[in-house]
Parts: sequence; C-alpha cells; structure tokens
Amino acid sequence: MGGKVTCTLGEVKNRADFIVYWGGNPAECHPRHFTKYTLTQKGRFVPEGRKGRTMVLVDIRETMSSKAADLFLQIRPGKDFEVLTTLRALVKNQQVDERRAAETGLTLAQLQDLVDRMKRARFGVLFFGMGVSMTRGKHMNSAGILALAAELNAFTKFVCMPMRGHGNVTGSDMVMRWTTGFPFGVSLTRGYPRFNPGEFSTVDLLVRGDNDAALILGADPGATMPQPGIDHLARIPTIVLDPKVTHTSRLARVHITTAVTGISAAGTAYRMDEIPLPLRPALSSPYPTDQEVIRRIRQAVAARPSWSPASNARMAIA
Amino acid sequence: MEKKRFIMNAGRTTRQGQQINVGKDHVEYQAIVNTLTMHPGDMKAVGIQPGDSVRVRSEHGEATFRCVEGKVPQGMIFVPYGPPTCHLMGRYTDGTGMPTSKGWEVEVEPISA
Repeated sequence: MGGKVTCTLGEVKNRADFIVYWGGNPAECHPRHFTKYTLTQKGRFVPEGRKGRTMVLVDIRETMSSKAADLFLQIRPGKDFEVLTTLRALVKNQQVDERRAAETGLTLAQLQDLVDRMKRARFGVLFFGMGVSMTRGKHMNSAGILALAAELNAFTKFVCMPMRGHGNVTGSDMVMRWTTGFPFGVSLTRGYPRFNPGEFSTVDLLVRGDNDAALILGADPGATMPQPGIDHLARIPTIVLDPKVTHTSRLARVHITTAVTGISAAGTAYRMDEIPLPLRPALSSPYPTDQEVIRRIRQAVAARPSWSPASNARMAIA
Repeated sequence: MEKKRFIMNAGRTTRQGQQINVGKDHVEYQAIVNTLTMHPGDMKAVGIQPGDSVRVRSEHGEATFRCVEGKVPQGMIFVPYGPPTCHLMGRYTDGTGMPTSKGWEVEVEPISA
C-alpha cells in the first residue's frame, strides 16, 4: 500500500486506449472529461479518437456515463473492495472461487474478461470517483485500485487517477503537501506539522467539538458535513470567506464577501492531474480577494500582543 | 406499515452543480436536494405515489424528501448531496477523515397527509 502510478491528462489524451471509470459519473460531474481528455479527442498515439479507445464503467447503478461506455459492469453496493481484490488475484493468475466472485454482482467470466482486456491494452487508465473512496472500505478501496494499476504494469502500461471534485481541491492538497509534507488532517498546534486523519481531520474535529473557532475558505461545510459538525460550527465563532451567501455563511459570526477566483481574482488552480494552471481574471470586483483578506487578518493578528507573556518579554528585549 | 430498508446512494448531478453557481437559496436548488429518486417497484411496495413526501430515517437522523420514480436499481434510492442528507450521514470517519457518505441503510416511509 502506498504510491500512485499516474500521469497527466495530456498523456491520457495522447496515449490511452483503455479507460476505466470506477464509482463515478463523469458525464454529469466532470462533463468536459470525455471530450477534452479521455474519449473523443484524437491523440498522438490514438489517431482514431473515440474509435481507438475502449471505455469501461464500473458502478452500482446505470447513469448518464453508462451510455458512453463500451462495457458497463454493475456491481453490488459496497462490494468495490471485493471486486478489486478479485481482479488483483486474476491479474496474477490466482485461483478465485466462482461463488465468491458472484457475490460482487459480476460473474467470474466478466471479471476475467476485464482482466484480459486490461492486460491487452497498450496504455490503460483507471479513474476512480467517490463511489470508491466514500463507501464502505474507503481508503482501503482507494489503496486497492492504486495497487491494481501498479500491478498491471507487470504486463502493460497502466496508470490511476482520482476524479477530484469541486474547484481546486487538488490545489489545497498540493499546497499542504509541499508546505507540511501531508495533504490534509494536519495539526500545527505544536509548532510543527503532525498528520493524523481521524484526529486532526476537519469532520472529526467538528463532530467531536475539539476546535473553538473556525475559518472557512472556499467551502460550504454547512451544506455537506454531518449534522453534529454543522451544529458545532454554529456554536463557535466561525468566519467565512466566500463570494456568495451559503449555508455556512448563514451560521457564521462573520462573513466576508470576496472576489470570485478565476473570474475577478487572479490565482492558481490545480487540475485533477496536479498540473497548476494560472487563472487570469476577466472582470473586476468591488470585493477583496481571499488572499488580500487573509493577509490583512495576519497583519492585524501580528500587531496584537501575544497570549504568551514569555513571548511578549522576548519581543520587548528584541 | 412495514418499514422497508434501502441502500441510500447520495451523489451529485449536473443540474445541482449549475444551481450551486446560481445560489443555494434558490427554489430550484432546494427542489433538487430535497428530491429522492426511487425504483417504481419499491415505491409501490412502500405505498408511495410519485410526488409524495417521504420520511427517510438512518441510524444518525432523519429528513424529509419529495419522492419521484427513476432509473435506480431496486433496493436503492438516490439523492443529490445537500442539507437534508447531512442529517442522515454517518458522523464517524473510521480514522480516515471521511464520513461514510454513500451506501448507508435507511428506512423510507410515506408521510401521511
């Protein structure tokens, strides 16, 4: 477990002839994915475009994406880990009990066919969505699909990529990674970064009520998190920076309206393949940018005396 | 009436994404996140007419939705993520930082007028 065999979306566009979407509905949730990178584009080594590519969708229900698939494999809810483990066994030519395989909602023949197709591919990609990472098994499902992609490299070129949602969530992970060494769930309370999902991750902190203040940037946890976490945000001083009125801004003590990044504020956004893209504002805004607000808050905090008398004494000597 | 158990599959839709950019206070966004899609056979079994209000109960809480027929497998219901699903979602992350946001068991019952 560990490591991600991956590539850029440019490589997918130019090289991938076998594409698997697992636990996601890109036709609705990433509507430009098919047309810009994975299916319809003609690539350098896939000159035929759509005809030169095979797309498989693995999901628990038929969606708009299944109409675009060459092969739709409907698995039982919560059986992703079992399907992935079976595929990994079949990749290594290990024996699999037919009855056990059938518990996943697919037959052993279907799973063997998928493995054969994956091994025959010149350049395969596994894209996985929240149907893998947010259901029973969670990070073990993600580890399973990453391991499957890595192990297929004994036979052909295979890569894996999570279908990141929402604007610039990858950017948040990237900045946290290069500044602290960890992507999320980081505590700086001891003056150095400590990583422990379940302890320092946002949902856990809020649900347990560990934090006594919150600064929310570019997110609306008031409409997405478990209710006990939302109730805690309403109890503590919560500050929201957002261009719009949101469920979180309604329960916050302070809401600072900011300019929309990419439309009226410059910045950098990371694509799901971790490529940074510069954003050039097309319009001006009467509101400050997120960056400007944070800079001014930091300036104001730095100007105040510290809560620690020892620290203030050191400042006075300096 | 006997309460049947269903697998609740929350997700996102294109229309929901568009409405987020219009505003979450809009009637259309509210309608999207308060609408539950169910297999016609299941609706019949539970005694729900298309457009009826239903109460969905998980081990963590309950919420009400408007129920419509749709192409989902029997035994499963689909709802776009939103404030109502926050009441039903699991609060524990099993040490991962991610609450179980899909595939939890719920009961669905019609709200009698």
